[in-house]
Amino acid sequence: MAPDPGFALLELYDAALPQVYGYLLARCGRRELAEDLTAETFLAAVDATRRVPTPAVSVAWLVGVARHKLVDHWRRQEREQRGLRLASQDCPEHDDPWGAALDALRVEAVLAALGPHHRAALTLRYLDGLPVPQVAKHLRRTVHATEALLTRARAAFRHAYDTEEGPR
Amino acid sequence: MTDPFDALRLPVTPVTPDPRFAERLRARLERALLEPRSTPMTTTTDQAALDVPLATLTPYLAVDDARGALDFYVEAFGARRRGEPIVMEDGRIGHAELAVGGSVLMLADEFPELGLLGPRARGGVSQSLRLQVADVDEAVRRAMQRGAALVRAVADYPHGRQGAVDDPFGHRWILASAPTAARPAEPEPVPGHGDVAYITHVVPDTAAARRFYGEVLGWRYAAGSAEDGWHIEGTAPMAGLGGGATRPEVQLCYQVDDLAEALRRVREQGGEAGEPAPRPYGLMADCVDNQGARFYLLQSS
Repeated sequence: MAPDPGFALLELYDAALPQVYGYLLARCGRRELAEDLTAETFLAAVDATRRVPTPAVSVAWLVGVARHKLVDHWRRQEREQRGLRLASQDCPEHDDPWGAALDALRVEAVLAALGPHHRAALTLRYLDGLPVPQVAKHLRRTVHATEALLTRARAAFRHAYDTEEGPR
Repeated sequence: MTDPFDALRLPVTPVTPDPRFAERLRARLERALLEPRSTPMTTTTDQAALDVPLATLTPYLAVDDARGALDFYVEAFGARRRGEPIVMEDGRIGHAELAVGGSVLMLADEFPELGLLGPRARGGVSQSLRLQVADVDEAVRRAMQRGAALVRAVADYPHGRQGAVDDPFGHRWILASAPTAARPAEPEPVPGHGDVAYITHVVPDTAAARRFYGEVLGWRYAAGSAEDGWHIEGTAPMAGLGGGATRPEVQLCYQVDDLAEALRRVREQGGEAGEPAPRPYGLMADCVDNQGARFYLLQSS
């Protein structure tokens, strides 16, 4: 009899939990939210193990599920904030070289202040290092639209980073 | 050239969460694993389904039971799952995709807070979805077996065989066969001024002529308006047989735009023009040309 992937998941739980939680916490920055998304990730994983074909349960796979949950979260947030966002947040594009070494704490603060769509694009592309076509798939946009979004997101990030006083 | 944004790269660093959280989540997982399994999926997602490109227009349905709808469209319409549905925190399906033939169908549970309600909540359908299937009768039968309600029985229409059902979630589907290869109805050649409008074979014995040409050319006949006159079915130009002639002759009838003007010219050119007589198909006059050949002129009504 084939091992039950559901129980394989439970066996992997102790090892996978810090990885999934660490991935999420570093990207969403808030403990409660990271916990919620971690729970969502593992419960979705339980569902997935009951489907055919059963996924190969691994830490990498779970981090992938977590990435989906994070994008879903930002999508919800984006939907809630749409209309509230100020026009001034849409920064003019400027593509001049920008080579400042980035301050990690400041990066975190700047990302947290960006709109969810910009934050999602930058996180997937740069923090996770996904190629643009994969980012596009996660965001359910075309590659072309994703490239345009990334350009705007980078501009917004630079603008916020350059005006950010640094973490208080 | 390196992208300065590459500096943002953030490898996964494990972080141990609050042990109470870890314990609670483990307990939730154990409970979830012990719960009865949901209905196993009958069809799985496959690469081909993922490869179906998005068309210019894609329907995105709100249904009051997205899980049930996914099963229904898979079982009744042969749809294929396209990726995993996105499940929201509250358990609702926020987004799911199916490949149906060469099209993508998106659907989600109802989100009243976003103004997204299915037809049942709205009190009826507001649109129909036309689905082309290989076997309309079979598709309607399968849909009804799985709870769809018949709206219009399967029948043949000029544009193909089709029927309509309301699915168990209230959406209306027109299940249709592919339209038969676009063959625009052959336009009836309309005779213009100077064209041959009708050919009359006048013969001494129409029965003998009908038999002869029926055997030789496969002509079929319909009784005409004149006595012992027969219309030959389906020939171009239109033609008929007339009796009472002393010897066989072919008489041509030419279309004209203005019969009175044409008759005037017949006389002017040394021909003989009869009187215009009303016929079921227009005004007609018999004429003789300047060498004695008989012909007719017709101004169609």
